[in-house]
Amino acid sequence: MNPTKISACNVNVFYGASQAIKDVSLELADKSVTAFIGPSGCGKSTFLRCLNRMNDTIDICRVTGDIRLDGQDINAASVDPVQLRAQVGMVFQKPNPFPKSIYDNVAYGPRIHGLTQNRTELDEIVESSLRAAALWDEVKDRLRQPGTGLSGGQQQRLCIARAIATRPEVILMDEPCSALDPIATAQIDDLIHQMAQDFCVIIVTHSMSQARRVSDRTAYFHMGNMVEYGETEQIFINPREKLTETYVSGRIG
Amino acid sequence: MTALAFGILLLATIVAYALNRHAASRLRARGQPLHSLVGHHAGFAALLVLVPVLVLILLWLGLQGPVISRLLMGGLPQGVLDGLDTGAVQLIEAEITSIAGGRIFGTPEDWKLAAAARLVDLRLMSGQMLLLAVSLLALALIALARHKVAPEFRARQSFESIVTGLMVFASIVAVFTTVGIVASLVFEAGRFFAIVPIHEFLFGLNWEPQIPIRADQIAAEGAFGWVPVLVGTLVITVVALVVSVPIGLMSAIYLNEFAAPRARAIIKPVLEILAGVPTVVYGFFAVLTVAPALRSAGAALGMDVSPNTALAAGGVMAIMLIPFISSFADDALSAVPRALRDGALALGATRAETMLNVLFPAALPGIVGGVLLAVSRAIGETMIVVMAAGLMAKLTLNPLDSVTTVTVQIVTLLIGDTSFDNPKTLAAFALGLMLFLVTLVINVFALRIVRKYREAYD
Amino acid sequence: MTPSRTPMQQVQASLARRRRKQITLQVLGIGAISAAILMLGLLLTTLTLSGRHALTQTHLTVQVFIDPAEIRADRLPRGGFDDVVTAAIAALIPGADLSNREGRREVSAISSNGAQFLLRDLVVANPALIGQTIALRFPVSDPYDQLFKGLIDRATPEANRRLNDAQIARFDALVAAGAVSTPLNWGLLFNADSRFPELAGLRGALMGSFWALLTCFVIAFPLGIGAAIWLEEFAPRNRISDLIEVNINNLAAVPSVVFGLLALAVFIGWFGLPRSAPFVGGLTLALMTLPTIIIATRAALKAVPPSIREAALGLGASRQQVVFGHVLPLAMPGILTGTIIGLAQALGETAPLLLIGMNAFLTSAATSPFDASTALPTQIFLWADSPERGFVSRTSAAILVLLTFLIVMNALAIALRKRFERKW
Repeated sequence: MNPTKISACNVNVFYGASQAIKDVSLELADKSVTAFIGPSGCGKSTFLRCLNRMNDTIDICRVTGDIRLDGQDINAASVDPVQLRAQVGMVFQKPNPFPKSIYDNVAYGPRIHGLTQNRTELDEIVESSLRAAALWDEVKDRLRQPGTGLSGGQQQRLCIARAIATRPEVILMDEPCSALDPIATAQIDDLIHQMAQDFCVIIVTHSMSQARRVSDRTAYFHMGNMVEYGETEQIFINPREKLTETYVSGRIG
Repeated sequence: MTALAFGILLLATIVAYALNRHAASRLRARGQPLHSLVGHHAGFAALLVLVPVLVLILLWLGLQGPVISRLLMGGLPQGVLDGLDTGAVQLIEAEITSIAGGRIFGTPEDWKLAAAARLVDLRLMSGQMLLLAVSLLALALIALARHKVAPEFRARQSFESIVTGLMVFASIVAVFTTVGIVASLVFEAGRFFAIVPIHEFLFGLNWEPQIPIRADQIAAEGAFGWVPVLVGTLVITVVALVVSVPIGLMSAIYLNEFAAPRARAIIKPVLEILAGVPTVVYGFFAVLTVAPALRSAGAALGMDVSPNTALAAGGVMAIMLIPFISSFADDALSAVPRALRDGALALGATRAETMLNVLFPAALPGIVGGVLLAVSRAIGETMIVVMAAGLMAKLTLNPLDSVTTVTVQIVTLLIGDTSFDNPKTLAAFALGLMLFLVTLVINVFALRIVRKYREAYD
Repeated sequence: MTPSRTPMQQVQASLARRRRKQITLQVLGIGAISAAILMLGLLLTTLTLSGRHALTQTHLTVQVFIDPAEIRADRLPRGGFDDVVTAAIAALIPGADLSNREGRREVSAISSNGAQFLLRDLVVANPALIGQTIALRFPVSDPYDQLFKGLIDRATPEANRRLNDAQIARFDALVAAGAVSTPLNWGLLFNADSRFPELAGLRGALMGSFWALLTCFVIAFPLGIGAAIWLEEFAPRNRISDLIEVNINNLAAVPSVVFGLLALAVFIGWFGLPRSAPFVGGLTLALMTLPTIIIATRAALKAVPPSIREAALGLGASRQQVVFGHVLPLAMPGILTGTIIGLAQALGETAPLLLIGMNAFLTSAATSPFDASTALPTQIFLWADSPERGFVSRTSAAILVLLTFLIVMNALAIALRKRFERKW
């Protein structure tokens, strides 16, 4: 296993009075893909949103426990969520390109964070990000057209390019293929493989086959608990827990 | 008399209801299977009587005034009305009416007293004829309804089709209103343009409806070029928007993104109070407080501020528009999908950046629609400008000066006694037509933008 | 790009600037909201400060000897009531000189013009009072009312003051004699309009508004509900119902003064309905309120879940039975809320009423919707236009009365919504 990028210890999440995540502890490796799987409502997305403090934007949500990125407590008072989110990018379930041009979508992150000094640098970042998202060849002639005009799969790759453009270290993906057709899903799967060479990728997915295809390690969540966490092959072929076995064999979920 | 007619109407309706109810119940009691419920038989009878008789009464009341007036004036002695214009004839009629009502001023001529007596007779006769007609019609309808009661009579269907007819009528009233607005404005404005050429109205740079230029010309009773009035309207509208748009938008941005839920729950209704204050109150506020304050502020700065400055009228109008713009913008911002906001935040955008770079541009069509509706409101707003703006049409763009607006001119031209045949009165309708057209175009455009925008995010 | 700086360091470097920007935006937002609320506060404060002066009215109480020499039973209702009242006031002012016209006028001007009519009505009702001495309380005229309420600054040079030193001295003598009091100004609500501010009241306006709103309600409520039900529940989705719908939405945004023009041309010009009548006003307001009621009713009908319709239809009820028996009662609270809000708007509407002449000066209140009348907002407009100083505070007070009605109506609507709020 690669060196640890993120370590979480005794994380609890509450929505008002109800508890969505119960005492989850795990370590996520750098330059690899980790998948979170589990039935709907098991808390896997909620846990993912803890890693870039997106839960802060929900008023009634409260997070306790210790989450460290490269050893630095991300919930510390001194950490600005703005900076954290520049470091930890996110791709959402439904493609959500801004109603701007393709170029401006990708350039948005570098612009607000002041990552470039001039136009040429920005052009370079946009091109490299779109290439990394395997979208460059399809859109290079229409960078000025609105991002919302692309197909669903293209939109999602645009969102991935947008996330990559801020040069993050970690990329969170929240069921990135649930709104896509199988061909687009296969393209994204390839992409995730590629991305693992540069980033720590964490993906929440409903599809067990996708988890098996793309991830190095897998964590199984059930009712807010992390039931089992290990090498993907081991989780799917030889789960230690009964709950995991029933889920991966298709009997619940 | 009228009250009595309505009394007969009510009584006949109840009688018809009771009769049919009784008849249908008897049929049922005799073991005959009825197609419809007893209640439907009774309801059918009630509506069958109510609707036609009510229509008769309303028509009668609507038409008797003009008819009586024509009979009265036609029956005056030969020659008394010779050489009088419409206004004078109306005055004579008003005097006769007031004598008939028992209010006698001075010593009227004998023929007026005789006419007044005849007016009293005519009214009495009309009232008696109405009662007779109402009674006959009601009796006939009661009989008809009673005759219909039979086991196989589909009372429910008949009842429901009358109800449907009434509902369709109610829906069409709104269309009638629009048709009425357009017809009356076009008709009266048409009479105006027969006196004053339309190009003179549209492109003339002088608006002096009160001042005769040459007494020997009918059309020269004043100058009717609406350009200065239009410019005045625009000056005040611009002032109002320059103040209200930034304040309204900033309030909406703060309420939507930064305010704590509890603060929002208090601030929003407080702002809505501003929207509920009648405009006549704002007008008085402008006269009582804002205009004097601006005037003394201007004096302190060594500027000459008119007491009817466009700044006061526009500024106070802005207060009225703030809640309107802010609630429209707030709605538009709330309609932006959460996913976009999350997307921006997840990239590390601050909340201000999320708002300014993503949410606001995404909501822009809805916001523009709201601002356009505010423009149409500002143009059509009447009381604030009637009280706070000027009467003289001056072609100026200086907001410290006194300007007049389309609505001010409409009201001042029509306040007091009006007759429908001089260009002064008719000019108000020409202005009204322009006002209606301008606001209609803006409204249609704005409502379409808003609707399109809502559909885009549904 | 400086190669030595990582992306994270660059982000860090930008943070301070971006935080400042965010704070600027928040400050602007708070500033905008404060400005709006400040305006509301300023509006209400000035109205209250100005209107409170009209909540009391300075009265004078004097012992009036009803002199048989001036007032004779056989000549009623004529008689020298003015002289009798003037004499009674003069009795309290040392050195008052009634021997010349000038002196009589000075003393007489202290009392309201209405005082003599008050006395006349008393005596006409009871001629036995002639020859007796009775205590009579009546309003003082406007300048003295202003003086007693401290609205005339005694420090102002005499030439610029509305009352000269001698006039003030005479009134001070009355104050010293204990004849001056300031009871609550019930006349503001129960008197009809008058040219004299101290006598003017809102009865005519209140009656006019009442008749107009009643007419508006009687017409707009059934028509609005009927139209909304048809459009929402029965109308086929075609171009005609689309047209009606667009038409209703546009009608809601037509300037109110245009409705006034419609009423003037059609109701008064073509149909020959009487000018200044609350009935015509109510008719006009009904057309303006109709879109509001239709839109509110449709929203309320839409909020009733389809399952209720389906359940009733499944039992074999006709569509009308379903709508009138089940859907409409459930939607009624929402409809009433919308109606009350529409009526509140109609109550404050001014411009169309001005055009149909509901700004006439009338000293008696309407007893039917067909009598000439003013309405609350047009009365405010009339008073705001009046030159007498006393009308300023009365206008503010009339506005406070109007706002009170609006607050009550809106509170009623909110209470109704809260009371019947239903979660499906």
